[in-house]
Amino acid sequence: MSRKREEKLLNPKPGSKIAEAQDYGIDLTQLIENLRLSPSERIKRNDDAANSMVRFAEAMRAAKSERRQEEKL
Amino acid sequence: MINLFEVARKLSESEVEFVIVGGVAIRSHGGNYVTEDLDICYSRTNENLKRIAAVLGPLRPRPRGMEKSLPYVFDWTTLQHGTNFTFETVMGDIDLLGEVKGLGSYLDLVSESIVVDLDGFSANILSIPALIVAKEAAGRPKDEAGLKVLYALQEAELDEF
Repeated sequence: MSRKREEKLLNPKPGSKIAEAQDYGIDLTQLIENLRLSPSERIKRNDDAANSMVRFAEAMRAAKSERRQEEKL
Repeated sequence: MINLFEVARKLSESEVEFVIVGGVAIRSHGGNYVTEDLDICYSRTNENLKRIAAVLGPLRPRPRGMEKSLPYVFDWTTLQHGTNFTFETVMGDIDLLGEVKGLGSYLDLVSESIVVDLDGFSANILSIPALIVAKEAAGRPKDEAGLKVLYALQEAELDEF
């Protein structure tokens, strides 16, 4: 990633769209990290993150189901 | 197991005419958005529908939300009978869009996309300005964060600010 682009994201100019995104709650450090990757690496990391989210959701469902079973006993 | 990258590779290697839009496009531009589905705008020629069916068929696509016990036949004629489809497959959810609000159909989107090298294959990915147009046209509250990211990425790309 070009230094200039990274600098803009590290130090957003007040009133800029980048500053607006930061104020909204967007983690600009994640954008910087992603921009350091190639497009294929970015998509592959999305796949990894999505699979992790699915596993968390499955674990949560299992835990809730187990709790319901325990409450019935 | 979600493997949207592999789905894109299969589509590209089978010479399917498509443009990647939505969350994967945002992600490929550097966004921190995590998405579980691959949205593509596709050419609706019969030849292309046959290619899409050949790629997706082995992934056992079914309309999302459809009762699992109901039978579902997927082939290229299935795609002839609709425009937009939301499928679940063994490699993740895949949305096929014949048109994208604010932008148009496949040929309109091709001119608004960039060809990106993805480790041995290439794919058309909708540009940041075009993604902004599409998200603004959709006007959905759920796109608000994605739009903020796109505006920031667009501004970061500008030489001067």
